[in-house]
Amino acid sequence: MNKPTAKLRPTKNSSRKPVSVPSEKKAKEEAVTQVESINNEFPLSDSPESEPVEANKETLNAEPQTLPTPPLSIAQTYLGGDLDLVADFTIEAREHIASIEKGLLTLEHHPDDKDAIHSVFRAFHSIKGLAGFLGLDQIQARTHEVETLLDGVRNGKHSLSSTLVDVVLHSTDYLSRSLRALDQSIGGEQVPLPALDIVLLGRVRDLQQGKITDTPASLTGGSGASSPPADASRARGVEASRVKVDTHKLDALVEMVGELVVAQSLLRHDERLKHDANAIIAHKVSHMARITSEVQQITMSMRMVPIGQLFQKTARLARDLSRKSGKSVDFQTSGEDTELDRNIVEELADPLVHMIRNSMDHGLEIPAERLKSGKNPTGKVGLRAAHQAGVIVVEVFDDGRGLDAQKIRARAIERGIISEGSEHTEEELYNLIFVPGFSTASEVTDVSGRGVGMDVVKRHIERLRGRIEIRSTLGQGTTFLLKLPLTLAIIDGLIVGVGGQRYILPIVAVKEMFRPSRDSLTSIEGTKEMVRLRDLVLPVVRLSERFNLAPSSHGLEESLLIITETESRQFCLVVDELVGRQEVVIKSLGELFGNVPGVAGGAILGDGQVGLILDPAGVFETQAREVLEEPVLV
Amino acid sequence: MTVSPSISPSRSNTLFERAGKYLTFELGNEVYGLPVLRVREVIGKQAAAKIPHAPEYVKGVINLRGKVIPIIDLRMKFGLEQVEQTDRTCIIVVQLNVRKSAILAGAVVDRVSEVVTIAAADIDDTPDFGDGTNLPYVLGIAKTKDGVRILVDPDVLFEVAQLMQMQAATQSQGDREGDE
Repeated sequence: MNKPTAKLRPTKNSSRKPVSVPSEKKAKEEAVTQVESINNEFPLSDSPESEPVEANKETLNAEPQTLPTPPLSIAQTYLGGDLDLVADFTIEAREHIASIEKGLLTLEHHPDDKDAIHSVFRAFHSIKGLAGFLGLDQIQARTHEVETLLDGVRNGKHSLSSTLVDVVLHSTDYLSRSLRALDQSIGGEQVPLPALDIVLLGRVRDLQQGKITDTPASLTGGSGASSPPADASRARGVEASRVKVDTHKLDALVEMVGELVVAQSLLRHDERLKHDANAIIAHKVSHMARITSEVQQITMSMRMVPIGQLFQKTARLARDLSRKSGKSVDFQTSGEDTELDRNIVEELADPLVHMIRNSMDHGLEIPAERLKSGKNPTGKVGLRAAHQAGVIVVEVFDDGRGLDAQKIRARAIERGIISEGSEHTEEELYNLIFVPGFSTASEVTDVSGRGVGMDVVKRHIERLRGRIEIRSTLGQGTTFLLKLPLTLAIIDGLIVGVGGQRYILPIVAVKEMFRPSRDSLTSIEGTKEMVRLRDLVLPVVRLSERFNLAPSSHGLEESLLIITETESRQFCLVVDELVGRQEVVIKSLGELFGNVPGVAGGAILGDGQVGLILDPAGVFETQAREVLEEPVLV
Repeated sequence: MTVSPSISPSRSNTLFERAGKYLTFELGNEVYGLPVLRVREVIGKQAAAKIPHAPEYVKGVINLRGKVIPIIDLRMKFGLEQVEQTDRTCIIVVQLNVRKSAILAGAVVDRVSEVVTIAAADIDDTPDFGDGTNLPYVLGIAKTKDGVRILVDPDVLFEVAQLMQMQAATQSQGDREGDE
């Protein structure tokens, strides 16, 4: 056991040397961790600390005598440093990149915005400083070039042109790629930093020298590699002081707070408390209830992030697309401060990017066409977010050509999605663009202006338990409304009783509830039941049958029918009784069960017992394909 | 020698150190033992939410301080006759090692008895019944002054692997029913 230690110590030292800054203390700490990880031979301990050992071995083999001068491989560079520090760097740098992009997009419209140019400059400066500190020379060099260029802008030596913004944006792309490579390297893969793009670098230099030939030396000197980024981040000012917390811890906290709420509601509704004349205890309990609900609100809000950063990403995309396609676009956003669960924000990125691309590609007309139809040649595309009755509504809008219902109809008939004679409302026709295989990119452009992967977008939104609606006026534009829950951790559900068990049916899936009259019920072969409600005939799904529960004793007329809506169909779910409505914290059933068909998870009900959360689409499919596939229009 | 607390989850059953402390529990006249290091706690009986399509002996899931954990009925699993639950009926919550992570699960038993230390010398292998009886979850038979204790391996007892395949099984079952 001593052997590898002895062998490795010098390795570490030799690989450290080329790294410029890390302090002596850091080095010692690191040595300790590494020795520990070597000594620990249990297979359990495959923690990240054990990796530096491996990599350092390689480093030693590759370059037995490391000189301070040769270019550093990424492995040497960051492994010589501290993995945690590098990880922190990538996180912080990403924040800086976000503020750079935001600043640049502001600058493009308001070139005189001094605050924006300063914030972009500071962000680059911070990245440069940190990169230098960690010995990430390539990143430092690149950011230095851009910083110099920006300094020129700051001092009024360069004017802020679109080309300049392009170049700076491309430089942030390079940074993003580098950060990804770093992350992968931390994860244990050997990924080299992306090579410096010589062409881009050339353009940066050209711009730098466009009006002046000598770069301000004071700046280069002043921003030494070791300069701490503290002043820069303080200068950002707007951001309040923050603590970074592991999301797992946050999730665990949210879960436990959920339990706290349940526990206190158990206490508050305890019969003995009601009967007891002791009002003081009752008072104390209700005091606790107030505190608990406050704690719950705060905890929930900790998971919430403003949607603004997501909008910014799409703003960047809109800008790039507009320059590429030659369509002039005024990208508008509002409601950036609207907060929603960070998981939703993450999951929303792809669909939003997709929809913005669609709006730009197919929704907006080219300027000439717009002029012909009497519109402003500059099109409007944008995003709006707002709270609305317990849900978040995100709108993706454009003032382009709008959806042509008749063309969609023709296309759908051609594709065999609907039949020739059937009648549909405009809204139903619009929704056809979400049907998989409705159209492909090249064909849709002249038909509806939409459709590229819209089925994917819809699936995405539905996975977030959201809904998507379309509003469109031919010739005036289209708006997609995404209605999303505030959080994924909590679901608003109807608690229903079936066969002595209680289940939670997500309220988003519930269209309507009713007790059927005898003459509305019919069946095929005596067992396949259907119910007629107004102009719909819907298949009847008995949960007790699907889940093999004790069949309920009473007939359909005494049961409650819930019209349940899934992605593609409606059906009537039969339940024995409605127990109540409750917001519940969604919990997984654990690894042992994996995915149980028809069940989306478990939740702890008000009395502390577990109820299963139903997945309506799963319930429908667990069995019985003989049931009517689609509601029949009569 | 006792069971080392550092038993890694990757150890297979055959390497399981049999000597050590066991929590014994009763099912009718039979006394079983679970490695005490795997026992998290013993809780009172409680109503479980049934999991659709799960084997009958899977009683369902319960709430253990905010965690949803599965419960199996050992009488049902062993094919013993069902009896009225009593005050002594309880759930032993054990830690199972699934792949690399530890999860909790509970077993309904008639009553929990005691914790006993069993030496390696007192443990016999499962006798050969000659009729092909296969009891993979039995670690061994311990001879104590109070009688014989059947030592069981929780991972095998809960048929972790089998439960995990349940999903596929129910899926195909659903398909069959659909085709009828």
